[in-house]
Amino acid sequence: MSRSEVSKEQDEMGITTEDLPGGIAKVILDGNLGIEGAAAIDLRMNVIAGAHNAVIVDLQKVTFIGSMGLRVLVAPARAIKSRGGKMVLFGPNEMVEKVLKTSGIDTVIPVHHDLQAALAALQ
Amino acid sequence: MIGNHRESTPDRIVLHSDLSEISRVFRWIEVLASRYEIVESVQFAINLCLEEAVSNVIRHGYAGQPGRPIAVCFSISGEGAYIFTVDDEAPPFNPLETPSLPMLDEQGEARIGGHGILLIRGFADALEYKPVQGGNRLCLVFSKGASPHDPQ
Repeated sequence: MSRSEVSKEQDEMGITTEDLPGGIAKVILDGNLGIEGAAAIDLRMNVIAGAHNAVIVDLQKVTFIGSMGLRVLVAPARAIKSRGGKMVLFGPNEMVEKVLKTSGIDTVIPVHHDLQAALAALQ
Repeated sequence: MIGNHRESTPDRIVLHSDLSEISRVFRWIEVLASRYEIVESVQFAINLCLEEAVSNVIRHGYAGQPGRPIAVCFSISGEGAYIFTVDDEAPPFNPLETPSLPMLDEQGEARIGGHGILLIRGFADALEYKPVQGGNRLCLVFSKGASPHDPQ
């Protein structure tokens, strides 16, 4: 398993990736996914989406998400889907999940709270 | 209704039309949340709605033009609700009349943008738009919510 991490200072958005068995990329996001946080990881998310057909995005440490944050989830999910792959979201907190539901994103990118179920959905 | 609230405790922040200014709103809300014991879920809703409202003004109202003012005012109604008004000097535009876009675009794919208004509608408890001389005013109201100190 390889691991790649971009260091995160206070109030910044952190992004870490892990290569899991089965060609799955796990992307761990950490911090505030508002406008500035979304801009900070946008390119990286698109690079990951361009290189993997199965991606799980771990949202457990995401404290906030706005519409720009949703963009950096939807655009990679679309790119992956266009190649026949799949992206799933894992572990959002209650308020982040409310944003996913209010926007309807949860209907096009599956949201899981059980890691094994999330990984199984990518098989 | 917003107009019937007896307001008190005003506070105000003036921003320039630059997206980097939105981090100042977050820090301001943090101070207000601490001062008025705003519960975490309500603070999240306020941050979300103000980020969307202010960024809409910057990107659409001012069309990215730098150096234009956006004033955000805070007050507490007689009933204890948190009221925020966002004033700008952009051409008249009522965001509440903007129809919500369907989740899927014309190609049947997930829509990448256009979620801002939907989120404001979903997270604010009341909204009111008023054209004002030379600009726009959007009022956003948030109920106090359940306090962690309230008896169960």
